[in-house]
Amino acid sequence: MRKVFVTLTAMTLVGSAVMLAAGPRLAGAQGGGTVEVEVKYNGAPQVEKLKVNKDTEKCGQETTIEKVAVGPNKGLANAVASAPNAKGAKPVKAVVDQHGCKFVPHVSVMTPGEMELKNSDDILHNIHTYSTANPAINKAQPKFKKTMTEKFEKPEMIKLTCDVHSWMLGWLAVVPGVAAVTDTNGVAKLENVPAGKQKIEVWHSTLGKQDKEVDVKAGQTTKVSFEMKGK
Amino acid sequence: MVAAGTRVGLLAALLLIGVATPVWAQDANAGKAVYERKCMLCHGEKGDGKGPAAELLLPKPRDFTRGLFKIRSTANKTPTDQDLFRIVSDGMPGTTMPAWEVLPERDRRNVVAYIKTFAPDTFKEAPKKLELPKEVSSSEASIKRGKEMFEAIECHKCHGTDGRADGPSRPELKDEWGYPVAPANLTKRWNFRGGRSRAEIATRIANGVLGTPMPAFLDSVEKPEDIWHLTNYIVSLGPDSPQPATLVTVNAVTGAIPDDPAADFWKKIAPHNILLEGQVIVDPRNFNPAIDLVSVRAVYNDKEIAFHLTWDDPSESKGDGKTTFPDAIALQFAPQQPTGTERPYFLMGDANDGVYLLRWEQGKGVGELTAHGPTKLTPIQGAEATGNAAFKNGQYTLVMKRALAATGAERPSFRPRVFTPVAFQAWEGGAGDTGPKMSLTSWYYLRLEEPQSNRRFFIPPVAALLTFGVLGVLVRAARRRAVQ
Repeated sequence: MRKVFVTLTAMTLVGSAVMLAAGPRLAGAQGGGTVEVEVKYNGAPQVEKLKVNKDTEKCGQETTIEKVAVGPNKGLANAVASAPNAKGAKPVKAVVDQHGCKFVPHVSVMTPGEMELKNSDDILHNIHTYSTANPAINKAQPKFKKTMTEKFEKPEMIKLTCDVHSWMLGWLAVVPGVAAVTDTNGVAKLENVPAGKQKIEVWHSTLGKQDKEVDVKAGQTTKVSFEMKGK
Repeated sequence: MVAAGTRVGLLAALLLIGVATPVWAQDANAGKAVYERKCMLCHGEKGDGKGPAAELLLPKPRDFTRGLFKIRSTANKTPTDQDLFRIVSDGMPGTTMPAWEVLPERDRRNVVAYIKTFAPDTFKEAPKKLELPKEVSSSEASIKRGKEMFEAIECHKCHGTDGRADGPSRPELKDEWGYPVAPANLTKRWNFRGGRSRAEIATRIANGVLGTPMPAFLDSVEKPEDIWHLTNYIVSLGPDSPQPATLVTVNAVTGAIPDDPAADFWKKIAPHNILLEGQVIVDPRNFNPAIDLVSVRAVYNDKEIAFHLTWDDPSESKGDGKTTFPDAIALQFAPQQPTGTERPYFLMGDANDGVYLLRWEQGKGVGELTAHGPTKLTPIQGAEATGNAAFKNGQYTLVMKRALAATGAERPSFRPRVFTPVAFQAWEGGAGDTGPKMSLTSWYYLRLEEPQSNRRFFIPPVAALLTFGVLGVLVRAARRRAVQ
């Protein structure tokens, strides 16, 4: 019995190691590289504090609306970095949770197709999108409806709101290529971007959009930085 | 044979297209002329809802260019022509959109064709019929299940616990254009924008109201038939129509009249529903009155007259004095019983002819005042009216009392069998009502019914006895004649 277990564990370990090793090689075979996007912002963060006047047991007494979140070293968080024209990108399904009366994560990326909406708050939320390229939806998600699947097939930056809790705000970036959201240092890594000249785009809900052309080299990491200006 | 059939079909299709296209174009062109005469003032030349009158209106006139239509019978964003035609013809209750039934049907159809040209993208997609779950007729069990679902899906968040549009999310609700929007008061079905029939209500719940915070619930109830249980529950919340009164009867009672508006005593008195309109004669005008109905119960005894008023108000407001003000309500009378048909000016009198007001105000209580116009109010010295108000779940109840007979020239006395002019005014301070910005009525009449006497108890038996007596005499006389 023990022998079988040991064998299985060993096999699993070896399998994982092979897969891990094969990962970059596979990308290399496709001729992909990594683009490390760094986004800086020179202005002050814009954070609104708001007193919560309903469902305080779930939403808390106070909430913050981070219009512009700036981390250490002036890194701009919650910006969407993308290589929109990257061909053969892996499909990415977004999962957005409504938790503590906030959209978590605040900004999500997905490739055109389906996404999942969760409600882990045990109270009513309604998912109200301000989409124009995709059909706008306004669907109730009562406490017993833990997950819903929605379809967004056209590239678009979609604003997510909830009318029950007017402060709730989230963004869903539907990007056909490769995309990622910048972390608190303002850094996002775009992986498996096909080699060659690629347009790299940065979008922020408050600060707008910028793009640059980058020469992506297979198997290497190319760095590119952006500086967003206040509006 | 098959080829021939296909050819005939093709020909027919071509003919149809050939015929349909010019008619369609003509329709929209003819509709443009109708639109410019009847719709443009509010909906704007470009159909963007920015006509010159739009500024004054709330809810705002529809911006057709976005292609978002509130009332649809369809599962997608595209309404059917019939959906649009119905709104044009019947209007939208509770808004400034009138019913255009007065126009010939052809004009209304043409205007629909023209409206569609403002949002060509929306109408590229064909309307897709919404399939409602199988209908469940109303029953006690269905209403009970509907109430359970109402609570589970938290309709109260906007519509309030009792459905009176006073939910905690109400003050923050905005439509897709960023304008404030009020949830429906579910107890006043006649104001439902998309109609009050069960099928229409079920469709609104299933579909949501596009461009507003009202979401679609079709896939968000526990079982599909819950849509109908919810509908049945909502229908159970209020009457189908306001059944407006034309005359207020003041019932005669013996004994004390309770001050408590929640007392059982008041439940036995028949209410008179009085419809109010926004005051739009003098500035500041009230184009979007928040209070549209007051239920009046009135009684008197040998000493006092009392009015029990019930009205919906989504917020109990004491006012901050800047954007919100104290809620208030008033009954208006002529200071002296008019001898002819002449009455003071209905809008709180004028410089020559004043009116007497029996008025309650949040934080102040009941008072008696004289008014010579909506801004010239003077409290009456030695006033003796009393009252008691309560507020619960978006509804006020109030009892106001005063002596039947009054002293002084400023205060009317009330006498039985006399038609006494009365008018009503109400202020939703939470919505910014104050001074002339109010809801009001023109003159109505109230009449104190005959004082109760014992006559009605003894006259009918005496009449019956007399009749039987006479009959008895006649029968006896007839028998005697027959024997002879």
